[in-house]
Amino acid sequence: MADESEKKVEASQPRRRRRPSPRIDQFRRTWYFFRRNTLAMIGLGILVFFAALFVSSFFYPADPTELTTYVATNGNPVNPNATQQQICTYEPGMGELPPGPNCYATPNGMPSVIAPTVNLHPATLGPLPFGSLTQNPGSAPFYDPFDGLVKGTQWSLTVSVGVVASGALIGILAGVVSGYYGGVVDEVVMRITDIFLSIPGLLLVIIVLAVLAGSVTSLWGRMSYVIFAFVVTWWPTYARIVRSQVLITREQRYVEAAKASGARGGRILRKHIMPNSIYPVFVQMSLDVGTVPLLIAAIVFIGFRLFPVTNFPEWGTIAALSSQPSVLSGFIEVCQSQQGAACTFPWWQFLFPGLTLFLFAISVSFFADGLRDALDPRLRR
Amino acid sequence: MRLWVYVVRRIILVFPVVIGVMTITFLLVSALPIPDRLASAFGENPRLSWNQYIACSRITPGENGTCLNPAYIRGTHQLGLDRPIEVQWGVYIYNTFTGNWGYVGNGSGVSTSVQIARGQPVVTVLGWFLPYTLELAALSLLLILIIAIPIGNLSAVNRNRPIDQAARVLSFSGYALPGFLLGSLLLMAAVILVGGPNVHSAFCSGQTSYSDFTGSWPPPQCFPGGISPTWLNHFVQSSPTGFPTVDAALHGQWFLALDTIIRMVIPAFVIAYGTVALLLRFVRNSMLEVLNLDFVRTARAKGLPEKTVINKHAGRNSLNVTITVLGLTFAGFIAGFPIVETVFQLNGVGRMIAYSVTQTPYDYGVIFGSTVLFTLLVVTANIIVDILYAFLDPRVRLG
Repeated sequence: MADESEKKVEASQPRRRRRPSPRIDQFRRTWYFFRRNTLAMIGLGILVFFAALFVSSFFYPADPTELTTYVATNGNPVNPNATQQQICTYEPGMGELPPGPNCYATPNGMPSVIAPTVNLHPATLGPLPFGSLTQNPGSAPFYDPFDGLVKGTQWSLTVSVGVVASGALIGILAGVVSGYYGGVVDEVVMRITDIFLSIPGLLLVIIVLAVLAGSVTSLWGRMSYVIFAFVVTWWPTYARIVRSQVLITREQRYVEAAKASGARGGRILRKHIMPNSIYPVFVQMSLDVGTVPLLIAAIVFIGFRLFPVTNFPEWGTIAALSSQPSVLSGFIEVCQSQQGAACTFPWWQFLFPGLTLFLFAISVSFFADGLRDALDPRLRR
Repeated sequence: MRLWVYVVRRIILVFPVVIGVMTITFLLVSALPIPDRLASAFGENPRLSWNQYIACSRITPGENGTCLNPAYIRGTHQLGLDRPIEVQWGVYIYNTFTGNWGYVGNGSGVSTSVQIARGQPVVTVLGWFLPYTLELAALSLLLILIIAIPIGNLSAVNRNRPIDQAARVLSFSGYALPGFLLGSLLLMAAVILVGGPNVHSAFCSGQTSYSDFTGSWPPPQCFPGGISPTWLNHFVQSSPTGFPTVDAALHGQWFLALDTIIRMVIPAFVIAYGTVALLLRFVRNSMLEVLNLDFVRTARAKGLPEKTVINKHAGRNSLNVTITVLGLTFAGFIAGFPIVETVFQLNGVGRMIAYSVTQTPYDYGVIFGSTVLFTLLVVTANIIVDILYAFLDPRVRLG
């Protein structure tokens, strides 16, 4: 109602400002409908948090190419001259606590299991906020997942935005050309997308990377191959969406008018068809930004070496490392060998990396859902 | 158009797609180093090198330097690598269609069941592992239909009420929760719930309850005498059909057949979850559309009970969309198998994929073979969906 009275006030005043261009106008309208969707605003809020995390991760004082690795010292005091990060752990069966304040008893006697609540070295380290992350339960080394998840923001967001942006670029071009020109071009492009869409995405990424990047070990080289492989998998979806939209747009009156006034094909494509048929792509793009880390996680999980090092600080990789079948069975075996003793299950190892992935993906999907509702008048509730 | 004409036309139309997929894999295979290609095409042998040059001493003793490798020449000739690229393409397509998918490498393997695959033809090995995956797929498709359709209908009928909101949250979470995470969480929960604090198996003494929920079959220690039946270990020779449940039943081991199915339930649910999430929205929306149509109003007007209107009149008509979407998402559905089979250590095709990508160098024969196999499955599923669609909605084949 407030909106209507605003409009009246605007209408009664003499027009000084130029009326905003139709696209800015549309943006305002979209934002108005988007704002009223609670879930979408929650999603946007979480995304803003992740964006802030992305910026701050560049100032985070740690090596962004590898997870911070710790070695347990098994009751010996920490050696300040050692090259690796050390944590003094002490197994309950070892007798008296060794002298010195820096050792603590590990649950289940597993030196690699450290709960988030344990204050390790009050003076130097503090607790590991998300606990420890281990690949070999019961033995060293282990990682700091908090560290990795903060640093991983850079890689995860860079890769997913890179993939989605380049995939959408290719898809939009292919879709616009195929939808506008129709005929043989359309048939060829659509059959190609058919072919790509019938290969499961996970496998397509794997075969492209296994063949082309098998010997690439440099960080950025590997990263660009990863993005390339994902783009190969991703562009057909966008091409399909844009094409179906272009088929509708090209029959509109304004396109006819442009043709009648003598505009050439390229100009019509750029000025009339493209801007009016890419909105549905925005929805798909925002949804896919959340899907890419999930697919990365799945690929790393089945054991494919996506990144140059196994302990690469990227959300998907961390989540995949933390829930390997060997990790699970290792914990269970140690628990069973405790013979009646209480057994702490390291829930934090599974919870935090998974929660990061989940939060990101679900906020992105809230956002995309709100965007779709706001852009499509038929879906507004 | 008659239904069978439509079916035949649909099947013919699939060949360009299949050949296109094989062309993509061909292009990728051509980018491989030739020795790797030969090794995956003809099998690895410790006494046989696939390099272009080998030490001459092995052919004519006493000479120094290197000579052309006869095995290399023979191999490249058989694959047509010494001829133009279109011939190579033709040979590749011919080999793929006739089932010459190369050999599994001599990798160490990740488990006993995978180790028996060493050095065998890829087609044979995928043939051993496919039935399990198909059973799992059937079960999870069943779960998808059982879960998605009623909940979707419910949320359409109770539009914007709490049930609808709950279904929406379920659908969002299915999109955002990676399969391996959901699988690990459910596995952990099941292990801890069944095994208690000390995680001992409830069914097999001396084992952890982890073994009650992972693996296609119980570990050997759980069988009488500590050895699993021979037909299980060597499902090559003495398992008549390859389908684990059917085989167990044929051998008269009903308990084992039941056990196999119970072990499949959680994995099938994990695979189904993502698709259910996607399908829910579509079922709901198509149901909403159908509920507004005239014939539903007529059905209500003539006094049919609401249950009949929803289930018989509206429900059956909204089924078309459900089936179409199921066909479209089949590629995503089938990509869940490598993950879930890794989490639960099941002996399916996905496990072979996981095995092949962890080798150094990769087991290219298995990777490409399973890619082609999965694509064939997707394409077959799409054909089935189209035929079902034409069967359910006669307007399709008229157009």
